[in-house]
Parts: sequence; C-alpha cells; structure tokens
Amino acid sequence: MTAKLNVLRYVLGAAMLGLWRNRTMTLGAVVTTAVMLVTLAAFLAINDTLNEMVTALGRKSNLIAYVRDDARPSRVTEIMQDLEQRPGVGEVVFVTKEDALRIFQERFFDQRDVIDILQANPLPASVELRMDDPAVLPALADELRGMTGVFESVAVPLDVVERLVSISNVSRAAGTAMIVALTAVALFVIANTIRIAVYARRQEIEIMKLVGATDWFVRGPFIIEGAFIGLVGATLAAVALVVMYLQVAPTITRIISFLPIATDVSFVRNLAVFIVLVGLVVGSIGSYVSVRRYLAV
Amino acid sequence: MIVLQNVTKVYPNGTRALDDVSLQIDEREFVFLVGPSGAGKTTLIRLINRDTSPDSGNVFVENTDVTRISRREVPKLRRRVGVIYQDYKLLPGLSVRQNVEFVLKSTGEFNGRTSKWVDEALALVQLSDRADHHPHELSGGEQQRTAIARAIVRRCPILVADEPTGNLDHATSWDTIQLLVRINALGATVLMATHNREIVNTMRRRVIEIANGKVVRDELGGGYDG
Ligand SMILES: Nc1ncnc2c1ncn2[C@@H]1O[C@H](COP(=O)(O)OP(=O)(O)O)[C@@H](O)[C@H]1O
Ligand SMILES: [Mg+2]
Repeated sequence: MTAKLNVLRYVLGAAMLGLWRNRTMTLGAVVTTAVMLVTLAAFLAINDTLNEMVTALGRKSNLIAYVRDDARPSRVTEIMQDLEQRPGVGEVVFVTKEDALRIFQERFFDQRDVIDILQANPLPASVELRMDDPAVLPALADELRGMTGVFESVAVPLDVVERLVSISNVSRAAGTAMIVALTAVALFVIANTIRIAVYARRQEIEIMKLVGATDWFVRGPFIIEGAFIGLVGATLAAVALVVMYLQVAPTITRIISFLPIATDVSFVRNLAVFIVLVGLVVGSIGSYVSVRRYLAV
Repeated sequence: MIVLQNVTKVYPNGTRALDDVSLQIDEREFVFLVGPSGAGKTTLIRLINRDTSPDSGNVFVENTDVTRISRREVPKLRRRVGVIYQDYKLLPGLSVRQNVEFVLKSTGEFNGRTSKWVDEALALVQLSDRADHHPHELSGGEQQRTAIARAIVRRCPILVADEPTGNLDHATSWDTIQLLVRINALGATVLMATHNREIVNTMRRRVIEIANGKVVRDELGGGYDG
C-alpha cells in the first residue's frame, strides 16, 4: 500500500516537474487544446440549436393524407397502425368526413351557406401525422402517395423543413470536419510537447531503465503530463463555455426570440462535462502515442 | 550465478563482438575480465543485464535464462544486477545522494527504510561528506565512487563493473579495487572488466581473457598476460 502510494507520488511529482520545466510548450499545448474544445462546444451548441429548430418546425407541420371516399375503413385502420410504429412518427390521427366539415365550419362559419348550397359533404376524411423527426417526411409522403387505392392526395408543408434539414446537415458536416482537424492539431501539439519532454529527460530515462524501472513507471509521468494538459485545456474551455452561456445566450434569445437556443443548466453542464472528458482523452492519447514512439518502452 | 553457453553476438553492422563464448561464474566469486579494447568486454556485460541480446546461445543469471525472459521481467533482472558503467552515467542535475536515491525512486522503493541503505552505501564509498555535491564538483575518483554507491545501494547479489579504473590515476584505481574487494567480501559476486595490468597481476584472482570475441584464457589466480 505504501509502495503504491510512493509510486503514485513519484509519478505525479515527476509529471508536474516535467510540465513546469517545459512550461512554454505546456502553455501552448493547453491553449491549443482549449481552443479546440471551445470550437467543439460551439459546434455542439449550434448543432443542438439547429436540431431544436428542425424538430420544433417539424412538430407544427403535419403530413395530411386525404382518404378516398371509397377506401375500405379496415384498410385505413391497418395503415394507421403501421404508421404509428414508424420511427420519427409522433402521433397518427384520423379525421372523419364529419369532423372535417365541423372544423371547416368552425373556421369559416361565414361561408356556412356554401355547404348548404352543395347539399352534400365534399370534404374527404384524412389521416394526419404529427412528426417527431421531420427528416423522414419526404419518404413517407412518397410512400403514401403510392397507395392510390386508399389516398386521394397527400399534402406536406415540406419546403422549410427540407431547407432546415439540409442546413443542419451541412453544418454537421462542416463542424465535424473542423473538429477532426482541430483534434488532430491538438493531438499533434500535445504529442510534440511530450516528445520534447522525453528528449529533455532522455538521460534520466536511460538510467531508470538500466536500474530496473518498469515500463509503466517510466511512461507514467509522461502520460500524466499529457492528460494534465488536456484536463487544464478542457477546464479553461468549460469555464469559457459557461461564461459565454451566462453572458451571451440570454441576450441572443432576447433579440431573436424564436431561436430555440438551449439555455437550460443541464445542457450546459453536460456539455462542460463532455468537453472535460474529451480533453482528458485527447491529452492521454497524444502523450501515449509520443511515449510509444520516442521512449521505446 | 552467471553462465554463458555458446554465446554469439553480432551487431547489426556486422561486427562479431562475441563468438561462441561459454563461461561460468559462481556465487561470491571475484573475476577479472581482461582483453584489449574492442575485445567484447562491454558487450558481455550488457548481455548479463539484458541491455542487449545474443544472436545465439544462452545467458543464465541466477538460474534464469535471461535471453528468454519477457520485457516485463527485465526490470526484475536489473534489480538483481548492479552495474558500474565506464562513463559512470551520473545525472548532472542531481547531487551525489540524489543520484544514489534515484535507483530506489526509479523502482518506487524509496522510503524510510531504504533511505538508510543510501546512507550506508555513501558511507561504504566514503562519500558521506560529499553527499550534497553535484557530479561536476567531484574528482574522477569521487564520481566513480558515486557510481559504485549507486550500483550497490539496492544490495544486488551481482555487481558488474566496466573498466572502473579506466579514467583514474594509480592511487585512486587502487582505492576503487579495495572497495570492490570489500563489496565482494560482503557477499556480492563481482565481475570487473579491466585493462589494468598492474591490478590484475597484483590481485591474483580469477582471470577470463577475451580477444576478438573469444575466450582465450580462464585461469584461477592468473596474471594479466597468463
Ligand atoms: N552498438 C554497437 N554497434 C556496433 N558495433 C558495436 C557496438 N558496440 C560495440 N561494437 C563493436 O563490437 C566490438 C566489441 O566492442 P565492446 O564490447 O565494446 O569491446 P570492449 O568493451 O572490450 O572494448 C567492437 O569491435 C566494437 O566496435
Ligand atoms: Mg568497453
């Protein structure tokens, strides 16, 4: 137990000493990591906002399939049951001819005379879908249009949704590319910092190995250094993130009130925790790669 | 204690440093390894603590074939074999005491009990009063004794010295030999590579002579030239 504590104390002490000796590089690596993570956070927040918008708009825009007067009711029920099982579909409602007429009359009761004139109910029954994920709308609409024996026509308020989905796709692709590039840069900078740390201590390392230090005892401090750089960079990023949310988000929401920016505490907290984890992982991987490559242990 | 069986070592550049070498060194022996520069002395020493591996043959240390142990077992071997290097390999940024402690810290074994070992090792090599000096503040002989203290601090049963008197004057060389003899008397098996004709001739210990990578003589109580 004391031996383990000894080892831990040594490894941590050596790591901190190494970081301090190499402080300019350390600082550079920390800042790079922080920038990478702030960008990651911003991207995730923007992406979340876009997704929220798509979902919010999608909820309002139903798909309406007008049922032919001569369609078999049992067939319609069957289709509705099937639709309820589909991913992305929220709610499936059947609107009878009578309901349709009532709704029509409620909305336009000035023109009640028109119906009187027509004598018969000209409005079709319909199946209305409320969507959870509007992205599946186009395919679903095409499928229902194909059922010509059941449905007269299918109406989808597609344009806005489609545009939003495509914007959100582009933003996701661009964001992902940027994150990949920045992660690579952060990994490279951390690996390089550790490489220099290894070089500065090559004499110590050689002797440690010759007098019987285990591989992990030699590697440990360097891996901890990398993890520490990642952690500090991530903490900076997380602090920046929280400050930004507290200062900026309310203002934006006030100015552009329809933007569903996620301002709730749990979203920011989860994002901060995620960022810190990413920093830790990137730091550890960066230093591990360097240690494997330059330490030959 | 140390057994080499038909050991051949060829470096990647083609140099045949050891050629079918066999020898046996028993517990508590004191052995001189002699031969001209380039004979293969350092290579033989490096094989013992798995600093390098032979191309063929076996190297046994305390009945373990060290050519067959895994990477993970190498530290265990090296903790049993203290090595004094020709160039000392002291860390310039550390004091004498810290250099000696470094061995124990490298294996996570430095504590209240083992810190007494450091005092004892420094006392044995008569460097207690120089403990806080750095290597560049020491004479060649003192640096050498620091290296010896470092090699014995863990109380390894095997002590290997690579030309420990190579860079020392006459009197200091004799001090070093006396020290190694004392360590041998305390129970360690000692293998010392050397060029030093006078010391080998005076000590009359076992002499293993190698030339061009081959053992050409193995004589108890021998002199430098047989
Ligand atoms: N790392 C190495 N790579 C290539 N050749 C080496 C290496 N180390 C030693 N040699 C060669 O192997 C031979 C034996 O060297 P060494 O064991 O150092 O001899 P000694 O210690 O007796 O002077 C020499 O010819 C030397 O040049
Ligand atoms: Mg040599």
